[in-house]
Amino acid sequence: MHPNYLNNLVFITMKSLWFILIFYASIIHVQAQNAIWGKVVRDSDNQPVIGATVRVLNSDILVSTNENGEFRLVFLSPKGELEISNIGYETMQLSVFGNTKALHVRLKESTTQMEEIVISTGYEALPRERSTGAFDHIDNETFNKQVSTDILSRLEAVSNSLTVDRGTNSNGRISIRGINTLRSDMMGPLIVIDNFPYDGAIENINPNDVENITILKDAAAASIWGARAANGVIVITTKKGSFNQPINVDFNSNIRVGKVPDLSYVQQMSSSDFIDVEQTLFSSNYYNSQINSANRSALSPVVELLIKRQEATPTEIEEIDQLINQLRMYDIRDEFSRHMYRGSVDQQYSLGLRGGSDRLAWTASAGLDNNTGNLDERFQRYNIRLNNTYKPFDKLILSSNIQYTHSKSINGRPAYGEIGRNNQYIYPYARFTDDDGNPQGLSIDVRESWAKSIGNSGVLDWMYYPSEDYKNVDRGAKLDDILLNLGVNYNPLPGLHLDLKYLFERQSNIVRGYFNDQSYVARNMINRFSQVGEDGNIVHIVPYGGILDRSNSVLQANNLRLQSNFYKSWAAHHFTAIAGWELRRSNTSSNWSRLYGYNNENLTFGHVDFTRTYPILNGVVSQFIDDNTGISDNTTNFLSYFANASYTFKEKYSISASGRRDASNLFGLRTNDQWNPFWSLGASWNLSEESFFTNRFVSYLKLRATYGSSGNINPSMVAATTIQYVGTNMFTQSPIAYINNFYDSGLRWEQTNMANFGLDFRLLNQRVSGSIDVFLKKSTDLFGTAVLDYTGGIGATKIKNVADMKGRGVDVGLKTQNIRRTEFSWFTNLNLSMVKDEVVEYHLSNLNGSNFISTSSLARISGVKGKPVYAIYSYRWAGLDPSTGEPRGYLNEEVSTNYSQLTGAGSQLKDLVYHGPANPTVYGSLGNSLAYKSLSLDFAFVYKFGHYFRRQSINYQQLFTNWVGHSDFENRWQHAGDEIITDVPAFVYPTAANKNNFYAGSEVLVERADHIRLQYLNLSYDFGKANRGKLPFDNLALFVNASNLGIVWRANKRGIDPDHYFGTNRTAPPAIYAFGVRANL
Amino acid sequence: MKKTVKKFPLIAITAVTSFLITSCEKYLNEPSNKSLAIITNLEDLQALLDHTMMNSSPLAPEISADNYYLTDDGWESLELETDKNMYIWAENNVFQPGIELNDWTRIYQPVYYANTVLEHLLNIERSQSNNLKWQDIKGQALTFRATCFLDAAQIWCAAYDASTAETELGIPLRLQSDFNIPSNRATLQETYNQIIDDLKESIPLLPVNPVAKNRPSKPAAYGLLSRTYLWMRDYSNALRYADSCLMVTDELLDYNDLIPSTAFPIPRHNPEVIFERWTDLGQVLTSSRAKIPLSIYLSFDEEDLRREIFFQKESDDQITFKGSYLGFAGIVSGIVTDEIYLTKAECLARDSNINEAIQVLNTFLEKRWLKGSFTQVAATSSNEALAIILEERRKQLLFRGHRWMDIKRLNKEDANISLVRTLKDEIYTLPANSPRFALPLPDDLLGYLK
Repeated sequence: MHPNYLNNLVFITMKSLWFILIFYASIIHVQAQNAIWGKVVRDSDNQPVIGATVRVLNSDILVSTNENGEFRLVFLSPKGELEISNIGYETMQLSVFGNTKALHVRLKESTTQMEEIVISTGYEALPRERSTGAFDHIDNETFNKQVSTDILSRLEAVSNSLTVDRGTNSNGRISIRGINTLRSDMMGPLIVIDNFPYDGAIENINPNDVENITILKDAAAASIWGARAANGVIVITTKKGSFNQPINVDFNSNIRVGKVPDLSYVQQMSSSDFIDVEQTLFSSNYYNSQINSANRSALSPVVELLIKRQEATPTEIEEIDQLINQLRMYDIRDEFSRHMYRGSVDQQYSLGLRGGSDRLAWTASAGLDNNTGNLDERFQRYNIRLNNTYKPFDKLILSSNIQYTHSKSINGRPAYGEIGRNNQYIYPYARFTDDDGNPQGLSIDVRESWAKSIGNSGVLDWMYYPSEDYKNVDRGAKLDDILLNLGVNYNPLPGLHLDLKYLFERQSNIVRGYFNDQSYVARNMINRFSQVGEDGNIVHIVPYGGILDRSNSVLQANNLRLQSNFYKSWAAHHFTAIAGWELRRSNTSSNWSRLYGYNNENLTFGHVDFTRTYPILNGVVSQFIDDNTGISDNTTNFLSYFANASYTFKEKYSISASGRRDASNLFGLRTNDQWNPFWSLGASWNLSEESFFTNRFVSYLKLRATYGSSGNINPSMVAATTIQYVGTNMFTQSPIAYINNFYDSGLRWEQTNMANFGLDFRLLNQRVSGSIDVFLKKSTDLFGTAVLDYTGGIGATKIKNVADMKGRGVDVGLKTQNIRRTEFSWFTNLNLSMVKDEVVEYHLSNLNGSNFISTSSLARISGVKGKPVYAIYSYRWAGLDPSTGEPRGYLNEEVSTNYSQLTGAGSQLKDLVYHGPANPTVYGSLGNSLAYKSLSLDFAFVYKFGHYFRRQSINYQQLFTNWVGHSDFENRWQHAGDEIITDVPAFVYPTAANKNNFYAGSEVLVERADHIRLQYLNLSYDFGKANRGKLPFDNLALFVNASNLGIVWRANKRGIDPDHYFGTNRTAPPAIYAFGVRANL
Repeated sequence: MKKTVKKFPLIAITAVTSFLITSCEKYLNEPSNKSLAIITNLEDLQALLDHTMMNSSPLAPEISADNYYLTDDGWESLELETDKNMYIWAENNVFQPGIELNDWTRIYQPVYYANTVLEHLLNIERSQSNNLKWQDIKGQALTFRATCFLDAAQIWCAAYDASTAETELGIPLRLQSDFNIPSNRATLQETYNQIIDDLKESIPLLPVNPVAKNRPSKPAAYGLLSRTYLWMRDYSNALRYADSCLMVTDELLDYNDLIPSTAFPIPRHNPEVIFERWTDLGQVLTSSRAKIPLSIYLSFDEEDLRREIFFQKESDDQITFKGSYLGFAGIVSGIVTDEIYLTKAECLARDSNINEAIQVLNTFLEKRWLKGSFTQVAATSSNEALAIILEERRKQLLFRGHRWMDIKRLNKEDANISLVRTLKDEIYTLPANSPRFALPLPDDLLGYLK
């Protein structure tokens, strides 16, 4: 301490004193040159530890190590204590003296659970401690607690703020922090692998190549991705070798066995009820127009029997009645279970090698997946990957990554709901084989009795044979994907890196569908176009033989990024910045074609005249023969500039800023509106580092706040009036075109602004750790459907930038170490998200209630101001009419059965019942890890609350015309008084579409969708732990895993799984059990 | 040496950057979908006009008219309430809401295309070499717009009456492609004026012989003008343009050359067809539902070939129609010479030119009867001639989209035609000159149209 200054500063507190002293001291130091240089390395492999904190105890002096692990420290006292710490390492203290010039510190890696978390944004890697944004990090261990062929399906149970939406999308769509757009095709997050968005099919990636996954949630995290980041970003980081690493071998193999799906989940109408309905309809002459129809449409076996019965003798009548009663016994679900479904078996093998010398780090891996599904569909995938990092001299790093995927899939047998008219509809008593096991034919398009009567010889057999037909169809796809990454990293000056990264991807997908001459598709096609010649013989216009469909699509992506990274650390300051330029191009070209009369044996095919129409044999129209031929070529180009900087002072205060401008060709053909800026700002305060912070229960506390914007676009939007050529006019033989886009000068990018306030904490000696984030967001210029006066001639709707919406929510991630003894431990991991979205501005010009009610179980975007994007509305229900059992609603507060008004202009939006959103407002997961010696058990629940879904029920219109029944029929109103116990309308002929739509959209069919599901259970035993050294392995773990274990609690009382409920034909996925081994040597 | 090697990456990066940044512009202007194109030339415009949608005609006139009936079962099994309503001339909810392809869309979509073509034509330079094509395209677009407006007037307006047309409501006349311009209904007089102006403007532009019959031609425009004046009951002008049309082409199909036993004996684009606009039959008019009244069937003589060519006797003795001018099931409402012959005869008769009127009719009828069996028609008074001619018009133009307007305009001449439908035990009537002869607008447009 310098005595000259002391007297002048008596009124200043000791803290401030120290600060000022250091300030002056550093000036003095320039003359004195009394500095310590040090380097901090990892004890195990001598790798530099970047960003480690070096602190002089009992002082405010604090520096951190640079990217080479080095630090410089100015030190005034003759003697002092240094503390060197970093997340993931044991903190070290050592004494230094005035004459100490150089220090070499070896930090031991920490054995406790806290590891340094490095977050990868795809542009840079940064330690979580110094970030301002909201991230979720899924480490390798957590990721591998589930077993699957793909990556994304594992995220729902382990990540924070992410959910898979199955209420508005039948395939399930990942959503992060809810919805930011009104367009269902613009709702998915951006998926990045290592450095670049992945354009190929994400199913190509072998999950065993994944090191960890980072989810970028708020603007500070995601806005660096600009125009495509509004829905959040998922960054998948793959495994890499490191320098100076002995060869390490990973082996992983597992087999997954799935049960046969339980078809009793399908709410199918009983065969007996169905036959009763057919008999009633028959006696009401409903089928007359079909019987006499020129389309000769197929009639069900019961109707055919009833036709015969009309002119039958009394003994024949008895026989027919007996036959009909026999049909009541059959259930098509039994047929499907017997002939189509089987257990699934998936196998997975993966081998990975890693190693590194002081100049070269490498990884090589290979994977094989071989899956056989419930319908005997096959999928095989082969992955090979080779990743090298080479350092020819210290300032230059060259890296390369080559990845090749080949996969092959073969379609399986038809699933429930894929047999019948339009491959969908069939009566429930259909049989696939007769009592002797012979294939049974079904008439699905035309009446067989009529087909046999045509011409001299009759046309080809026009029956569909469910138990045989799939054997005559060979459909499948082959996919080849090659991904090449090249990188050059040059370090011309200390702290400055110039980085050039290039990605090339080519994915080719060949789809082939061969329907041989015995297949129904081929026979139906040949028959439809058959003509009866003047001599009464059948003339085939479509040549006899099979049909071959082929399509080929090639995706080529080229990405190039030039980036400079700057890193500087001096005294208590850290500064990092990146800036760069990027070009992305993705082109998909495809073509498809069809051959008729194709013979797979000798590759012959026939010729067809596509230029003229032919009268259809079973109809009155003339049609062209479908050429199923086409070609397309689509390109997406992006050009971007970006920069990002962050500054940390004393490891306590951080600020960050990012900016990006994107331009793309998507709004094409006009240069205006191509460029759009996105930006973010963030700050964080490491409160627990303050010396006044002395709470002994809280070891770490950090506050974060960010604000910024990101964008969203729809590749199909184009600003100009464009036309598309669609073929040739058959009379003029000249090309014809239609207008596919109508000029809209107001077209812009969608933009989402988000504010995020976060808190990271570790309490009670790390026993409790986690984060809480609160966010507010507003999305503007959203594409929405504007309802138009269609006198304008461009249709009744047009998509424009018409809407705004806002959202708010909370994400909580909590990890607790409930028990952590050496022998036994129990950790819990809770993810809880609450999110609400609300439409702020959307001019709906048509407020007819029916526009807001989807009569299917798939929710529709409602766009009502003040309500969520997907809102479930319904018609008010006034109960069944006590005298007729007909459904009733309210028109102007009066009970009414005027269905055209109830489903039309009479029910306006304000007259509807609002239930709530179709997407969960509270969701998350709860995972538990228990370990006893070498045995560990993991299981996780996933929960979704606060949303609604529409239940299916009987639709008489569908029942009469399309054979679609529903088990609710059993509970229909039949006698006066039934209206007290049931809401299912009576069976009345004739029925009207509006009546059925009213019931389908009524409030009695809306159910709460809340549920909790046991997502997976994993039991593993690690031989390595107990026998280290005795076995040739470092680790050898055997595991058993169970998934799709079903629902443990649900709000609806009808046994419906809201996540697996679409149409009447959806089956719930059966439980899957996996057995596997993971070895490491 | 080593120093240069170390600097090489820096130099390379700088070089690549500067090269790439300069090629940005081209990169951003690449079309995102190669099959997208902006309109740049006459071929693009012709390709729009050749779209099959341009030739699609509405169904409402035929569904509303009395060429057929539905059985109770047939009516009950209709899926759309709007179809059921249209059959019984309901006062609202007779057109499907706009997302579906209802007749309003069928009519105003081609109008948008025609307007787009007319606007883009102004941006395309005319030269010696493209002048004919340029004119042709303009003429086609005008004709398409006029024929669409004429169809709309038939459906949604009352029959033209010169004394009330200035106050009677017409249709929205959309003459610009900008869909943001609100739609206002013109008066009936303005509507017909616009149709006549468009057609008259198109005549000098159009070719006598079109490339194909889906494109408008000079005779097509004459024919449409003749039809328009007939509907306005301006018989001298109707006669004048019928004559002009027949001067260019007066060919008639000889039904003796057809094979009555085939499913649809009359071939598509046959010599009688001048300009084809057509529609398929839809749910109501499909032959499994729409049955022909016995009275119509019996009005054809045994030796009149049309009896066999137009009708099919089904197994249940019900009669269905197969006289489509399409070669398959459907309705052709474009310009066909038979209509023009009949218009000419009617106008002549109304002008008391009995002999010539009957002569025109005989020329026409001769091609409809079995060779050698036709006896010439004769009439002594113009009223008798007119009655015969109108009877033949009724018989020849079945399912051709004319009957609805014929009823309306003839009622204006005191024909007093009322329509009756019977369903189950209920009887629906549409008295002559009822305002319901103008169909209600699509319900979902009521908020827009003023």
